[in-house]
Amino acid sequence: MAGRWMDFGHYGAAGVPGGEALGIAMEGMVRGISSPVDSERGLAARLSYLTKSDAGYEAMDRAGVHVSPRTLMAWLAEERTPNKANLARLDAAYWDLRRRNVATDLKHRLNNGGRGTRVEINPVNQGGVEQKYRRDLSSRSVSVRGVWDRAVDAWMDDDLEELDAVWDEVLDLIGSDYDGYSYVSSIGWAA
Amino acid sequence: MSEGISVESLLEEARLTKQMPPPKERLRLREAAGLTRDQVAAAVGVARGTVQNWEKGTSTPTPPARLEYLRLLEGLAQLHPAPAAQGPDPAAALFTGTPSSTPQPPTQAPTPVPAAFTGLETLRGPDGRAVEGDPGPCVRCGVETTYRSTDGRPLHSGAMCQPTAATSPAAPPTAPSAPAPVQAAAVSPVPARVPTRPQRRSKSAERAEADLMGLIRGAVEEEAERAGGDEAAARKALIGRAIPDVMHLFNETRSTARYEYTAYPALPDILHKPSTKEPDQIWEARPAYNNAAYSLRAPRPDLRVTALDVNAAYLSALKVWLPIGRLEHTTGSDGVGPKRSGVHLITPAEWAHPHLPNPLGDRDEPGALWITDATLRLLLRLSGPKWGLTEAPTVHESWTSGATENFLDALRKLLTAARSEAIAAGDMLTLEYVKAMYSKFVSTMGESIHNREMVRPDWMHNIHSQAYALHCGRAYKAHQAGLDVVALKHTDELHVIGDWRQVFTEGRGVAEMKIKAGDGKTSGEYLVGKVTR
Repeated sequence: MAGRWMDFGHYGAAGVPGGEALGIAMEGMVRGISSPVDSERGLAARLSYLTKSDAGYEAMDRAGVHVSPRTLMAWLAEERTPNKANLARLDAAYWDLRRRNVATDLKHRLNNGGRGTRVEINPVNQGGVEQKYRRDLSSRSVSVRGVWDRAVDAWMDDDLEELDAVWDEVLDLIGSDYDGYSYVSSIGWAA
Repeated sequence: MSEGISVESLLEEARLTKQMPPPKERLRLREAAGLTRDQVAAAVGVARGTVQNWEKGTSTPTPPARLEYLRLLEGLAQLHPAPAAQGPDPAAALFTGTPSSTPQPPTQAPTPVPAAFTGLETLRGPDGRAVEGDPGPCVRCGVETTYRSTDGRPLHSGAMCQPTAATSPAAPPTAPSAPAPVQAAAVSPVPARVPTRPQRRSKSAERAEADLMGLIRGAVEEEAERAGGDEAAARKALIGRAIPDVMHLFNETRSTARYEYTAYPALPDILHKPSTKEPDQIWEARPAYNNAAYSLRAPRPDLRVTALDVNAAYLSALKVWLPIGRLEHTTGSDGVGPKRSGVHLITPAEWAHPHLPNPLGDRDEPGALWITDATLRLLLRLSGPKWGLTEAPTVHESWTSGATENFLDALRKLLTAARSEAIAAGDMLTLEYVKAMYSKFVSTMGESIHNREMVRPDWMHNIHSQAYALHCGRAYKAHQAGLDVVALKHTDELHVIGDWRQVFTEGRGVAEMKIKAGDGKTSGEYLVGKVTR
C-alpha cells in the first residue's frame, strides 16, 4: 500500500483501504436474485441457476455442496429442503457463479470502449480526529482506465493484494496528494 | 365491407389528399370559420388532440377520418380563401428587412404547396421509423435534412416543414433575405427574447437557461422528426431518454456552480435499503388524510366539495435544502440548523387538531422515527408562534451536512419554463418529456440501477417530503382562509369545502391549482354530509 498512513485510525479517522472500497463498489454493480435463500422462491431460483450449466456444478463443488444426485433431484423437486449449512453453501455458490458470469459485462462497462470510468473518491471521515491532526482532504474525481480487467479479476478471486496494487495505480493519477487517499470513506462511479 | 368505401369515395379522397393544405393553413381555416377543435373533432370522428396534431403538423391526417376532414377543409377554403394571395406577410417583412413591395408572382398563392411536392412520402425503414441518409436541402423547405422521400430526394420527415417562397422553384430569388426559418418554430412557437442592451460576456443565468432550453427543444424536435409524425413513438422515445437527458441538463446547470457535491457518499445504515424490495428507515410523511367529520354516505349530503389538483408537485419540491457533502452524525439537536440538512431521529409531539391533517402523515406506530430535514422544518414552522399548531419535536440524533437551497434551483427554473412554454403552445410532447425528466430525476437519484450518475437517497427523501410538506402547507393555508379541508392525499390532491378561488389561483402553472378531472366518485365537485355523533 502506497502512502505513509501507517497506523490508520490512531487519531480517530474512519474509512477503508482503497482496494477494499474498489471491491465494495464493484460488488454494488452485481445484481441477482433478491429473494433470500431461506425463502422457497429464492432457493428454487438459486438451484435452477446452479443446475443449468457445468459451471454451476463446479461452483457448488467449490462452495462445498457435496450431495448425491438423488438429494439434488429431491431439492429441485421441492420434496426435501437443504439443511441450514447447505443453504448457506448454496447461497455462496450462487453468488460465486453470478460474479463469474457478470465479470465480462463488468469489464466491458468499466473499460467503456477504452475510455475508462470516472471515479469519485471521497476522503476518510475525519469527524473524530482532533483538529491539529486533521489532513486537508477533499473529494477527488479521476478518470481511470487500463486497470479494470485486473481489478475485476482480483475482485472475482477475492485477491485483496492485487486490488491494493490496482488502487496504487489509481493513486498515481491523483498526483502529489496521493498520500491522503490510500484510505477512503467511499468511492463511486456511473457505469 | 363497410358501405362508406367505394371507388368514388377513394378517388375523391385521393384528389383531396393531393391538395391537402399544410398545417398552418388548416389552423387558419378552422379559426377563420370560428370553429373549435372539439367541434371539428366530433364532426370528423377523432379526438380533439388529433385535430390539434394535424394543425401543428405533428401528424398528418390518416384514414378513416381523413376524407371527412379534407372535405371540411375544402368547404372552409371556399368560404375563407387564403389572404396570402394579396402579397407577402407585412409582419414578416418587418423582421426580415425586405421592403414589402417585392413583386410576388400571382400564380403562387392559393395553393401553398406546389402540386409536385404534395404526393411526397417519407422513406421509412421496416420498423416504421424514418430512414436517415446523407444531408441535403429539403425539396419542400430548402433547409438541410438527413431524411429522404420515397423517391430518394431529401425531405423532412412527416409534415414537419413548411415550404418557403424563397425555395419554391417558381419564385424569383429574393435578395438579402434572412436565413431560412428555424425549424424550432414548428414545435414551440414562442419567440426567443431579444436582448435590448449589450450582453455581458460571462454567461448570465438567463442566457445559460436559454441555451439549455434549446437542448430541450432540440431533443423534442429530433425525436419528433425521427418518428416521422408518429406522436406515440416520439413520446416513447423521449421518455426513454429522459434520465440521461435530465442528468446532462443537471450537470450543465452545475457548470459554474459554487459547490462540488458528493455523488457517491458513504451512507449511514438507515439510508440503505436492506434489499431491492424493502424500503430504508426514512419516514417521508406522505399525507393520507380524510376528515372524519364528513362522509359521502352521510344521511344528508348537502355540502359541495371541490377536489383540487396541484400542478407538477415534485417540480416545485426541487427547491429544498439539500445536504451537499457526506452526512455526518450528531447527537441531540446539534445537527439542526438553518444551513444544515439531512435526516433526523425525532419523537414528535402529539397532534391534536380536529380538522387538520397531521404533518407526519398517516403514521400508526408511536415513538421515535427518522424523518427528513424538510419534514422537520415543517414541524418547526408549525410549532412556531405564527401557527402554534403543535409542540416542537424532540430531536435525538441527526445525519446532516452543510446544505444549500439552490442546488437544483437552476434545473427547476429551466424545467418550469419549458413546461409553461409547452402549455402555452399546446405542445403535449414537450410537456410529457419535461414531466418524465423531473419525475424520473427525483425517483432515480437514490440507489437505482436506472441512474448510476448519483447515489443520494437522502436527496430523494428530502425532495419527496418537501413535496408533502408543501402540500400540508396548502391545507393549513386553506383552513386559515376559512375553507374546510375534507381530504389531503398523495402529493397533489386537496379536497375543500368553500370558495377556494379566494385562496388559490386557478390554472396550470406550478403555483396554481386546478379542479381534479377524472371519473372517480371524489373528483371534480361532489357532495358530502356532516357526520353526526
